[in-house]
Amino acid sequence: MKYMLIMRATPAAHEASADVDFAEVVEAMGRYNGSLIDADVLVSAEGLAPAAEGVVIDFDQTPPVVTDGSYGETHELFDGYWIIDVADRAAAVEWGSRAPLGPGVKLEVRRVPSIDEFPFDDEWTRKERAWRESRGQL
Amino acid sequence: MPTYMFILKRTEEAFAADHDVDFAEMLATMGRYNQQLIDAGVLIAAEGLAPVAEGFVVDFGQEAPVVTDGPLVETHEIFDGYWIVEVASAEEARAWAVRIPVGRGSRVEVRRIHAIGELPGGDDDAQAERDWRERTGQL
Repeated sequence: MKYMLIMRATPAAHEASADVDFAEVVEAMGRYNGSLIDADVLVSAEGLAPAAEGVVIDFDQTPPVVTDGSYGETHELFDGYWIIDVADRAAAVEWGSRAPLGPGVKLEVRRVPSIDEFPFDDEWTRKERAWRESRGQL
Repeated sequence: MPTYMFILKRTEEAFAADHDVDFAEMLATMGRYNQQLIDAGVLIAAEGLAPVAEGFVVDFGQEAPVVTDGPLVETHEIFDGYWIVEVASAEEARAWAVRIPVGRGSRVEVRRIHAIGELPGGDDDAQAERDWRERTGQL
């Protein structure tokens, strides 16, 4: 079963991060990633550049409205993720709890459905399955 | 080339409105958009997520992490899925993102993804990451 572990910062994270030794954080993250790889559960993982460098697109109107990202709304922040493939939900809880994250950071964990859960004979499901197969992502 | 992530967030109202839409039509609409990304050679990955009720949140605020079933309560917007594209520029990423076939109650955040070795850290870590990405066909 695949689960996505999503790093979500809260307002407390900004204050807490001031006291943290960045080199230590990098090392702890490297160790955690290494353990995920050694256990052969890591499917993918990425870190994101700051939200202020990005944009937010609002689809309430047509055409959609594009706004520069900001440092505000810290509870919305999404800084990076892992996707793991594990035996069951309990294993996802176990791995999520071991993430080297500190005060003010929450890990939102969501299940990633498999293509098998979609109507097998649907034209678009078949196309997606073929694409995933071609990229080794099944 | 840089890679960007499109993070789709939707309100509860938007999810409720899904019930009025034919599921096969939704698959076709999103499928057509995804196919455009594939045909342009820019799509790296994409996933839709299972409902929030199936998930949980780990809070690292306390001494020991606290696990709570259900959604992240601080936010009104529910993370629904993402795309990762590899394109030449932020402008190109945005040009693709504004075409995502979603409507009212949907917002998409476009974020650049850190390249390997972009963050300060040990050379060992960057090499380990490179090795892993190569082994798993990501490089």
